Amino acid sequence: MTVNDWVEGAQWFFMLYFIGINTGYLMLNLLSLGSLKRYVEAHSLDDIPSRLSGFELPVSVLVPAYNEQVTIASSVRSILQLDYPEFEVIVINDGSRDGTMEALRREFGLEPFPEAYWQRLSVKPVRAIYRSKMHPTLRVIDKENGGKADALNAGINASRYPLFCSVDADSVLERVSMRRVVQPFLENPHTIASGGSIRIANGCTFDSGFLTSKGLPRNPLALFQVVEYMRAFLFGRLGWSPLNAVLIISGAFGVFRKEVVVKAGGYRTDTVGEDMELVVRLHRLHRTGNIPYRIVFVPDPVCWTEAPQKLLVLKNQRMRWQRGLIESLTLNIGLLFHRRGGTAGWLAFPFMVLFEWLGPLVEVAGYCFMITAFFTGLVSLEAFVTFMLVAFGLGLVLSINSLLLEEISFHIYQKPHQIVVLLLVVVLENFGYRQLNSVWRFWALLLWMFHFKLHWGEMPRSASWQTGPGGPHKGVGQ
Amino acid sequence: MALWMPQDPMLQMVFMFGIGAIIFSLLLLILVFLLRVRVLIRQRRQRFYEAQWQPLLAECVFAVPAQLPQVSRNMRYHFLRVWNFHHESLVGASRANLKALARAMHLEEIARELMYTGNLRERMIAVMTLGHLGDRTQWHELRALVSDPSPVLSLLAARALLDIDASSILAWLVTVMAARDDWPMSRVVTMLKEVGPEVATQPLISAVEATASSKGAEAQVARLLRMMEVVHTERVLPVAGKIVRQVKSPELIAAALRLVQDPRDLDIVRAYAAHEAWFVRVSAIRVLGRIGDVSDRRLLTGMLSDPQWWVRYRAARALLALPGTRIEDLEKISGTLEDRFAADILGQAIAEARSS
Repeated sequence: MTVNDWVEGAQWFFMLYFIGINTGYLMLNLLSLGSLKRYVEAHSLDDIPSRLSGFELPVSVLVPAYNEQVTIASSVRSILQLDYPEFEVIVINDGSRDGTMEALRREFGLEPFPEAYWQRLSVKPVRAIYRSKMHPTLRVIDKENGGKADALNAGINASRYPLFCSVDADSVLERVSMRRVVQPFLENPHTIASGGSIRIANGCTFDSGFLTSKGLPRNPLALFQVVEYMRAFLFGRLGWSPLNAVLIISGAFGVFRKEVVVKAGGYRTDTVGEDMELVVRLHRLHRTGNIPYRIVFVPDPVCWTEAPQKLLVLKNQRMRWQRGLIESLTLNIGLLFHRRGGTAGWLAFPFMVLFEWLGPLVEVAGYCFMITAFFTGLVSLEAFVTFMLVAFGLGLVLSINSLLLEEISFHIYQKPHQIVVLLLVVVLENFGYRQLNSVWRFWALLLWMFHFKLHWGEMPRSASWQTGPGGPHKGVGQ
Repeated sequence: MALWMPQDPMLQMVFMFGIGAIIFSLLLLILVFLLRVRVLIRQRRQRFYEAQWQPLLAECVFAVPAQLPQVSRNMRYHFLRVWNFHHESLVGASRANLKALARAMHLEEIARELMYTGNLRERMIAVMTLGHLGDRTQWHELRALVSDPSPVLSLLAARALLDIDASSILAWLVTVMAARDDWPMSRVVTMLKEVGPEVATQPLISAVEATASSKGAEAQVARLLRMMEVVHTERVLPVAGKIVRQVKSPELIAAALRLVQDPRDLDIVRAYAAHEAWFVRVSAIRVLGRIGDVSDRRLLTGMLSDPQWWVRYRAARALLALPGTRIEDLEKISGTLEDRFAADILGQAIAEARSS
């Protein structure tokens, strides 16, 4: 084979890979379109008042906190105001080095409580358990630092209810979020986990920890993430839900059946993607064990989170996500093409391996190869233009499709100028932003391959939504 | 474009594919834009009509309004939504006024039409409206809809039937409620609560008695027992004891124990406190906490050392609930306990009792 044959072969490989990956996502899009339409129709009467039965499943809300002294009180206050009949809130102070514990003591009147702590999952030592004098449903576990997964396991140990919900200490929940996300458990007794849509809080206005108006951020990086989150949740996850193959439930807001998680061993503490790893493991254990189950995604926007507005912070976040994804898949590789793997093992898992795990490698290699080969004369102008046309054209279809899904469902951003901005952003993100993400993810893949430990750095939060009761209305990170 | 068309036929094909993607993107962009325009127009029209409807519907709190709201053909769905929203929010005479207004507007005819011709959301609102209006003309159609594979639509049909005539449909409907595990128990129970225990108890008792000893019907019996928890009346008491003795599976025993209120059944309850399934022990202990007497103190104290946390916890709570038991008495017991787990759990229950 001559060099030219190799180059032509590589050129066709990259071109077909780009067509393949985007066609895969388009198929997922079609699936999402159908399930989103059905979901919106079936829930069209949800706003008509109805009585509570008293049979709603009670939920333990777990809030792991590490150095969250600025945000923790407002977060907990907003969770305590959730519109749900029966729930308890367990804050797990994971050995914070700042004033998180003092803030909790001061704001909620904590007092030590002699709880017979049931250590079902192994965790770092618990120093003390506190109960709030003002809110009897609020407890705080003060423990030695062991990471988010360890904190969540400690919360599971202390929880009293059959369902638990993990909530990030810096997230803002919709009042009805719990009702929406618990619904699949009521509709199908085989439901073991359910996750909701996460949206970007930057640009929105909050009062006393609750969303009062939805807006778009001015920061371009945050704007790109608005569209990215739409795409990730509205078809990245919703498409898999009717196939019972959702492999990711965001750690920012997910509800799980406690006994199932305890039986599976709780969250793993040796991965940075403990949320995804747990979900993939639940799939693996249930599929290979032939146990009926459902893992569901609820498309309603239920949780708002602050997006990074600085390139370095965003880079760290994306690299962490990629590392988490790779670890989750490698730790549960047994699900891949298992004879009882079903849609999770035969569709979602290979899709993730091919397009999410190895995708950045092929994408970055593809761009580098085509550009280098073009400038060295190994690839013709026609082939180069064709490659770029396909790559950007299909990327554009996917970006605009996510906006279409948003338009036929929730219309979160209602003002006419907002849709114009979003239309502009979905076009622009294909010219640099998406490629930059691929480079970061590729870098994370390389570091994982060479067993490099990563130092993630802190995720700075503006936390400007954290206003007290009656406080001024504020926007996030505009 | 012809300038850039590659010579290679394969490349030409891919090139055209890329061009197709760009054109498709532009079409999608236009579609998104048009959808937004449509939403804005629809929202504006809705706001306009609702501003006219709301005062008239609000008048129903006091009397039937003299002037009827104007509803154009393409706003029928929205009016039914607003009307049903008010119906669910109001009670008593106000509801009757709302119904009178609906009859004067012939809403039942609109609902009947939508039930056959509409999409899922229109059929849903139509079924809800027919139920609220007590429209008997669609009885058989609604009954058939109860078997619809869509849990949302079938549940609404079941509720409409109960709204129209609960006493004549409930005997059949409870068997459907027991069989359809895609109907959330919370919704089923809400419907039974609305019907009330006077109407709901007997059909439930009959259904439980008919299925309790049937093989392979455990799931149905379990659902029926959960429903009975809600519509609990004196009439359930003798049945509860009978069922507890009759059923065999641990899940059913636990469910049946939750119904026990009669001290005459305490012997069997105490026997089940030693059952091998921990959740049966928990249910039995909860009954003891509810209707047990001082003689149960020894049994409950022993259960503070159970290997299951929940059994220990419920035993501690039951000890506190026994008649004539003071916290000081339990503190004395706590001091004598050699098992650390038993002492810890009792300490927690005492602290909870003190702080509540």
